[in-house]
Amino acid sequence: MTKRIVVPFVLALGLLFGAAGAQAQTLMDSGANVRDQASLQRGAKLFMNYCSGCHSLHFMRYSRIAHDLGLSQKDVMQHLDFTGGKFHDNIVSAMPVDGARQWLGKAPPDLSLVVDEMGADWVYTYLNSFYFDPSTTVGWNNTILKNAAMPNVLWELQGIQVAKMSTPKPGDKPVVEGLELKRPGRMTPAQFHAATRDLTAFLEYVSDPSALPRHSMAPWVLLYLAGFTFLALLLKHEYWKDVH
Amino acid sequence: MIKVFSKEWFVERAPGLLPAYRKHMTEYYAPKNFNFMYYFGSLALLILVNQIVTGIFLAMFYTPSARQVFPGVSEAFASVQYIMRDVDWGWLIRFMHTTGASMFFIVIYFHMFRSLMYGSYKKPRELVWLLGMLVFLILMAEAFMGYVLPWGNMSYWGAKVIISIFSAIPWIGDTLVTWIMGNFIVGGPTLNRFFSLHVIALPLVLLLLVVLHLAALHEVGSNNPDGVDVKHGPKGNRWSPDAPKDGIPFHPYYTLKDMVGVGVFLLICAFIIFMAPKVGGWFIEHENFAPANSLVTPPDIKPVWYFSPFYAILRTIPDKGLGALALLCSIAVLFFMPWLDRGKVKSIRYRGTSYKVALTLFAIAFVCLGLIGADVASKVILHVLGPNTDITWWLHLIGYIFIAIYFGYFVFLWVYTFFGLERTKPVPERVTTHD
Amino acid sequence: MADEVVDHGRRRFLTATTAVVGLGGLGTAIEPFVRSWMPSARSKAAGAPVTIDVSKIQSGQIVDYGWRGQPVCVVNRTEAMLATLTSSTVTSRLKDPDCNAVQQPPNCKNPHRSIKAQYLIMIRICTHLGCVPDFKPKIGPETFDPEWRSGFFCPCHHSRYDISGRVYDGSPAPLNMAIPEYQWIDDTHVRVTGKEPATYV
Repeated sequence: MTKRIVVPFVLALGLLFGAAGAQAQTLMDSGANVRDQASLQRGAKLFMNYCSGCHSLHFMRYSRIAHDLGLSQKDVMQHLDFTGGKFHDNIVSAMPVDGARQWLGKAPPDLSLVVDEMGADWVYTYLNSFYFDPSTTVGWNNTILKNAAMPNVLWELQGIQVAKMSTPKPGDKPVVEGLELKRPGRMTPAQFHAATRDLTAFLEYVSDPSALPRHSMAPWVLLYLAGFTFLALLLKHEYWKDVH
Repeated sequence: MIKVFSKEWFVERAPGLLPAYRKHMTEYYAPKNFNFMYYFGSLALLILVNQIVTGIFLAMFYTPSARQVFPGVSEAFASVQYIMRDVDWGWLIRFMHTTGASMFFIVIYFHMFRSLMYGSYKKPRELVWLLGMLVFLILMAEAFMGYVLPWGNMSYWGAKVIISIFSAIPWIGDTLVTWIMGNFIVGGPTLNRFFSLHVIALPLVLLLLVVLHLAALHEVGSNNPDGVDVKHGPKGNRWSPDAPKDGIPFHPYYTLKDMVGVGVFLLICAFIIFMAPKVGGWFIEHENFAPANSLVTPPDIKPVWYFSPFYAILRTIPDKGLGALALLCSIAVLFFMPWLDRGKVKSIRYRGTSYKVALTLFAIAFVCLGLIGADVASKVILHVLGPNTDITWWLHLIGYIFIAIYFGYFVFLWVYTFFGLERTKPVPERVTTHD
Repeated sequence: MADEVVDHGRRRFLTATTAVVGLGGLGTAIEPFVRSWMPSARSKAAGAPVTIDVSKIQSGQIVDYGWRGQPVCVVNRTEAMLATLTSSTVTSRLKDPDCNAVQQPPNCKNPHRSIKAQYLIMIRICTHLGCVPDFKPKIGPETFDPEWRSGFFCPCHHSRYDISGRVYDGSPAPLNMAIPEYQWIDDTHVRVTGKEPATYV
């Protein structure tokens, strides 16, 4: 009787959660894969080159990146260290916090946990959603984070997007309906998507570096537990012969 | 000469030890028809041990301080990242602790529901039930304080909202809130005292209550899915001529059966820990990956999933005082179960059809209140009815309906049994053995 | 309900197998907890190699540096100091003149207990109970030793060491002071390394 109630109930719950999840789909699909080491390496390079000038990864160490991404100390310190830190140091941007507030209006946030907080798809969409907007201080705006104080540091790669404005009803203000690429950058749109995918994957790794060992250990742990449970079942059945 | 540390040596010095072992393990005769719903007590004990062991280790690396270690980030928040990244295997210890916390509530809700289904709260087990309810209360406080410790943004704002509920208490409310916070706003002092309560005070209370809960149970013996008292049945089984015929020694039969339950349970937990420890934001909320910020309120402040049903009750009622009262009553009413239910028949298997319907509705109401409290209901309604619906109106509607069903179950139960309206089925003399 | 004969052999086998597998799993599960006590990445970062510029140290002088929370000293020894290391006044009164106890890396097992004779790089902790001995560079009588030939004198319990950190007879300290692992990366820079940190998990 328990089964007849519980099972359909749980299934109904599942459907409900599916419906709730489906609501949030205005974001692009990042396709980021933390198990692709090459992607993480490219992403690391992009981050250090374009982002670490303003954004710290306070909780990440260069030595950790070297270990997890299969890079040598020399590789990391020569090609990835833009903050002047030592090998075991955390990645702290050289930009002074007070200066940032003065120049940009807001201190650039630390990005160690941004993917855990906002989701990989959000970060990916954000990187792809900058558009030229002369009305802001930095000259850029973003459809995902309106009036972000951040300029589009990747504009040379992406090119320059402009907003397609809607034709509003009288009394309403026009809103951004979509974005189109006005001036191409050094990368094609497909290449830029791949680059931002790498960057997103790298930030996803930084948010939770334990994902790498966790995924590799999982099959063994589950296999062991399945084996143990099977043995325990055999043992139980053997003794319960007494009861029946 | 008796050899030191031999069995005889112990019998001479602690004669009660071996009889105690027999009384509680090999000669504790539990009914032979325990089913799936009877795994959850031993699982709860396993989780308690897990929380204590992982908690002890986390406390070695965690810093309970709201002081800023760099702009915007407290020592507490940074110490959690230290555990996750710098401490060898720290991530595993932390995920075992967070997964254990959520699984604790899944297990406890099933465990409590078992008691509702089979009338395990009825005479002579009222004390077992009351002690269990106290365990539940303390567990909720323990889980709430534990969630505050990482000092993420949801830790901070969740603490603020939940503590402010106490201001609804007339006369002493505001002073009480200041007293709990140790400050004029939630801050460092709050964090420090929650650390001590979470790590030492409440675990000690919890351990004591669990021991008393088990002791009380062993005094009267376990119930079973048929609600038939095996002690009143025929005597004599293959292990002892005086023991109940339908009882079997807890050890080895239920220790071994529970071990299988543990294996399956660990499989589920291991999958979560190693493959998806955040469970899509349900076990560890996304907002808590941002450090506590008194100037930035998260878009929806909601407690972790296991508090959702109670949170929904609080929020649906627009008046703060009444909402807090309803929240209190929704838990308090459970304490009265042994006296609300006047029926003589224990198990749902032999109770009236109306009872079965009522309990089912109660369970559905609890889950649906949970979906409301967790903001799933609002998203589903918007999805189904379109973005222009008056979501507040709809949430109030379904909120009130399910609150009515939730409390209605207790009212129904009392009326139904007090006035003898229940038509029960004949209860068998002896337990019906499980398949 | 068949009244079967209990197969004790099978029971014992299954119990033993399940117990062994279970305990094996439990032991494996304990390992991460035990390992968590090893120095964390933060401790390892703090204990990371330190590079010292010796060019500023004047002849006959000592300078102390912190490394892994311990005092590492560098002594720029004079010719006279180095000569004392092979004189019998010193070597005949030492507990372990040949450095047989492994208190130094193999390449420092010599009278000057260093790679370059001129510079002593040593962990300046008395091997008795852990005090920091005083630097006594004078080659001539001192109150604690009429035959003093420069070295270290511990104020706590009066252990005496020569200018290579080798312990004198009559000292409560049992061993010569420890020499850490180090390398010369160029003429004026030495890098104290210690052991390499283990891999992350």
